[in-house]
Amino acid sequence: MTIKTGLISSLAATVLLACHLSAQAAGSAEAIMTASCSGCHKQDDNGTWSRISEQRKTPEGWHMTLVRMEEIHGASIVDPAGGEPGAAMRTLVRHLADTQGLTPAESAPWRYVLERELNTIEEHDTELFASMCARCHSGARVGLQRRSEEEWRHLVHFHLGQFPSAEYSLMGRDRDWLGIALNEMVPWLASELPLDNDAWTQWQAQPKQPFAGRWRVAGHMPGKGLFAGDMVVTDGSDRDYDVEFNGEFENGEPLSGAGKALVYSGHEWRASLTLDGEAYQQVLMAEPGSAQLHGRMFRRDNVEWGLRMQAARAGGEARIMAMQPSYIRAGAEQRLLLVGAGLDLEADIGLGAGLEVLGVTERSADGMVLQVRAAADAAEGGRTVSVGEAGAEGMLTIYRSLDRVTVEPAYAVARVGGNGGSQPVVEAMFDAIGFSNGPDGEPGTEDDLRVGPLSAKWSVAPFNAQAAADEDVRFAGAMDAASGVFTPGAAGPNPERKYQTNNAGNLKVLATVEHEGALLNAEGQLIVTVQRWNNPPIR
Amino acid sequence: MKHLKPLNHKARLLDEAADTDGMDEVVAMQSVVGCTATTDPGWEVDTFGGVAGLCQPMEADLYGCADPCWWPAQVPDVMVNYPDWDGQSPSAGQDWRKLDAVFPESDS
Repeated sequence: MTIKTGLISSLAATVLLACHLSAQAAGSAEAIMTASCSGCHKQDDNGTWSRISEQRKTPEGWHMTLVRMEEIHGASIVDPAGGEPGAAMRTLVRHLADTQGLTPAESAPWRYVLERELNTIEEHDTELFASMCARCHSGARVGLQRRSEEEWRHLVHFHLGQFPSAEYSLMGRDRDWLGIALNEMVPWLASELPLDNDAWTQWQAQPKQPFAGRWRVAGHMPGKGLFAGDMVVTDGSDRDYDVEFNGEFENGEPLSGAGKALVYSGHEWRASLTLDGEAYQQVLMAEPGSAQLHGRMFRRDNVEWGLRMQAARAGGEARIMAMQPSYIRAGAEQRLLLVGAGLDLEADIGLGAGLEVLGVTERSADGMVLQVRAAADAAEGGRTVSVGEAGAEGMLTIYRSLDRVTVEPAYAVARVGGNGGSQPVVEAMFDAIGFSNGPDGEPGTEDDLRVGPLSAKWSVAPFNAQAAADEDVRFAGAMDAASGVFTPGAAGPNPERKYQTNNAGNLKVLATVEHEGALLNAEGQLIVTVQRWNNPPIR
Repeated sequence: MKHLKPLNHKARLLDEAADTDGMDEVVAMQSVVGCTATTDPGWEVDTFGGVAGLCQPMEADLYGCADPCWWPAQVPDVMVNYPDWDGQSPSAGQDWRKLDAVFPESDS
């Protein structure tokens, strides 16, 4: 990299993060690499770059690496053709992700971190990986990289140099950290997460789908429920796409706007949209061999607010995408909204055993409204819903009784914020999920039936005696009784609290569902904790 | 532990956690993506899975975290990577509002 003297500006990074989807650089990616990277990295006669060519990553991974080169090592990402630095950065990220990215299968286990699913609980294969690699940052951050053994070794030394606390903080000082890292972790990582360019080469050789066209969108946002709409994609001027997004939640609340999208590595869809005045980002994956996108769309500045979504090409293969509600009680009559794409207007509608379609209204290729009756003696369980050739297994569930409710997520972390500081509050939102105990009548057994999200009344309580003594409920924030959205308290020391401590808290999340005259109660846990000042795309 | 008497609040908490299933609970809690699992004393949660054992308030020891690179994925480390992060905020308790986020922390 070309070394800059003086203060290193993070302007390029900021531009890339904020709107990483505008124009590409004037110069070629190869020219930018030579101009920007050759000060430290060597390119051999085969075109292989030292260090750089021995790694594969996601677009976010390459973005973070390049910004680190600027911030920590004083590099300048420059376009010798005279283009602005932000565009040079974008071109370089795209080039590296396209030529040294991850295949869909390689990223699949770790997508939650790209999608900013902040309350995902990671479960690692080994305690050694958890304590050596995933105790400061996510395990996904490691899983989303592929390196040669030599490169994994370099990464260990990098950690020791850049983050020396790895050796002396908890789970470092109790062992020969460096010896374990070099002699156990490096071979393991090289075996589990190998550079293995064959898999990547094969993926690159596969034909990639075009994205222009109309896509049907269905999704779910905790606190708001089902979303259905359209996404119209047109070819942009610079290998990008223009996107129009329109739809509404089940309560009729609209969400619409427009933006830009880029596709990295042939399948990594990234879009920046402005919807009703709010900045959103989409992190979606194009399913190989299928006109489907799936992932999450979240608010850029409050990533906890997100729509888990799928998109299917309208006019492509017929698909059933969602039903609202997704359950019906045996013996009941119910109005159901079916959301789909490319549905046959004349085809038979099938709902499975014990279900009868009484009427169909608003039928189109995009969906329909069904009036449905479930037989009183219908067996409990999921049903395959079909419209002609399109079928969706388990799309509709018949239940006989609601026996219990759970809170999802069962454990969540929210963060204080605002109050004049740079970090906004990180809210937490919950769903109440109904279950039937199934034929054996026993809760927690294999035949239990997940029915679906239910309307609930929400509240919080002290998690334990300590939380009660510290008045965590009073200080940590407020739960919206109707939506299940918890808004944490203000950041900073609070003079009203013991030791002037922060508005942190350890809370029970309580959901009460009224069902046929009975009250079903459920409980989760919410940690309200302090803010963080490092928020890269991969944490 | 039976022959040791906890002398302060934190020690009592540890004693209670060891006597119950609290420790098992902590393991699951600390696996939330991106939260640190090093609980000495912890950034998001303490050793017991709560928040009462964290620095109170956090700002009282914030620079004791930033200076020695203690939670580098959560708090910008002043030791190596972000030496100027707190340069304009000599007192965390007074000046915490001036502290900006950094992006990104290092990977490689």
